[in-house]
Amino acid sequence: MSARSWGPADEPLGPLDQALRDCAAARFSGALHVIGAPGGMICLAQGAVTAIETPWSPSPEVILLRSGRVPPADWEAAFTAATGARGRMTDELVTRGLVGAGELEAVLRTALADAMFALAAGFVDTCRAEEAALDFEMRLEPGAEADWLVAEALRRMRVLADFPGPPLHARARVTAAPRPARPGDAGHDGHAGHDGHAGVLALIDGRRTIRDLAFARGRGLYVTMLEVARMRATGLIALPAPGGQRPGDEDGSPRRKAATAGPTAAGLPRRHKDRPAQPKRTGDADGRPFPAVLRLLRPRADGGP
Amino acid sequence: MGTSLQEALHQILAAEGVRTVALIDIASGMVVRSVGEPNPGLATAAATLADEARAARNLLGPRPGGELEEIAAVTGSGLQLSKVLLDKPGEGFLLFVDWDRARANIALASLRVGQLASAVLA
Repeated sequence: MSARSWGPADEPLGPLDQALRDCAAARFSGALHVIGAPGGMICLAQGAVTAIETPWSPSPEVILLRSGRVPPADWEAAFTAATGARGRMTDELVTRGLVGAGELEAVLRTALADAMFALAAGFVDTCRAEEAALDFEMRLEPGAEADWLVAEALRRMRVLADFPGPPLHARARVTAAPRPARPGDAGHDGHAGHDGHAGVLALIDGRRTIRDLAFARGRGLYVTMLEVARMRATGLIALPAPGGQRPGDEDGSPRRKAATAGPTAAGLPRRHKDRPAQPKRTGDADGRPFPAVLRLLRPRADGGP
Repeated sequence: MGTSLQEALHQILAAEGVRTVALIDIASGMVVRSVGEPNPGLATAAATLADEARAARNLLGPRPGGELEEIAAVTGSGLQLSKVLLDKPGEGFLLFVDWDRARANIALASLRVGQLASAVLA
C-alpha cells in the first residue's frame, strides 16, 4: 500500500477506524493524515501507531515538561545531545536518568490514547495514507495496536456521555461558578476544598478552553474533560449553552464553520476577530527562532490558545 | 526502550499464583499495559479501581502518612492487589496484580508486589 484515501463514513470515528484497520492489515509504514476538526497525523510503523500529532491533545513533550516531570534545562541538554549524536530523544532521556524506560513507555502510550480520543471527539471527514519517512522525537517503539487505541477512545467517549448535561467540547470556554469561600478552599490540588479540582480551578479564567487547560497543565484532553464534567456536575463551573460558542471557535461542525466565513448577513466584511482561524506557523512568531523547549510547548498545528 | 514495561510486568507474572498483571493510569482509568490471562472485564475493573483510588485520596486528604498506598480486594477465588506508583506526571499509576486465592497469602502477596513494583516504571 503506497497511497490510499478513505472517504466520509457514518461511523463514530468516521472513516478513521477502517483506515487504521486497513493500515494494520497491510503493515503500512508512513503517515495517515486525518482530515477534519481537529484533524491531525498518525505515524504508523508496520501497521502499529508510533506517534500522533493533533492540536487538541498535548504531545509527550508537553506532558513531561509542563507537568514538571523533566526540568526544562535537563530537557534542553538531552535534546542537544540527542541531536548532536543523531540519536533518539527517548533513549537520551532514559540514559540520563531523567525518566525511567517503563515510565516513558507508559507516558507515550497514555499520550497516544489521548490523541486518538481527541481525533475521535472531533470530526473526521477523510483519511489519506502516504508512505513517508517520519521523524518524531518522541515515538513509541514498537508501536501501539490501533484497535486498542480505537477501543480506548470509544470507551472514553462513553464515559463522558454518561455525565448529565449537554456534551462537552474541547473548544468550550470554562467559567468558574460564583461560590462563597469556605474553610479549606485554599487546599492544594488533590485535597480538601474542591475534591481535588483546585489545580484546574486556579487556571479557569473564562477565556481558556478545555483544550487550553489540558495544555497549560500538561494533562491529557480526556482527563481534563473528565475533570470539567465532574466539576460541572457539582456546580463548581459553568459552560456555555450548546450553540453558545464564540465566532471562530473550532467545533468540528462544517456547517458552523461555513457560517463564520465570507461576508456577514448584512454584506459587510467580517471583523478580523470573527474570521475563521488561519493556519499558524509553528517555528517562529516574529522571525526569531524559539528555543527548542519553547518550540516544543507550542501546539504543532492550528488551534493555538 | 521498547518492551521494558512489558518485561517488568512479566517478572511479576512469574510469581507463583499470579494470573494477570496490569498497569493502570489513575487519571484516565486506562489499562496502559497488561500481561497474563486474557480478562475481558479488565478494562471495566481498571476504570473502577482508578475511581476508587481518586475517591480514597480525596477522603484521606493531605494528612502526613495518610497517602494511599494499596487497594486490596478479596473474592472467593481471587485476590487483587493494586499498588499505587506515584511517579509524575498525572495522578500516577496503579500496579494491578490478580492472584489465585488458593495459591496466595495476602500479606506475602503484598510484600512481593511491593518488592517488584519499583522496577515497573524504572
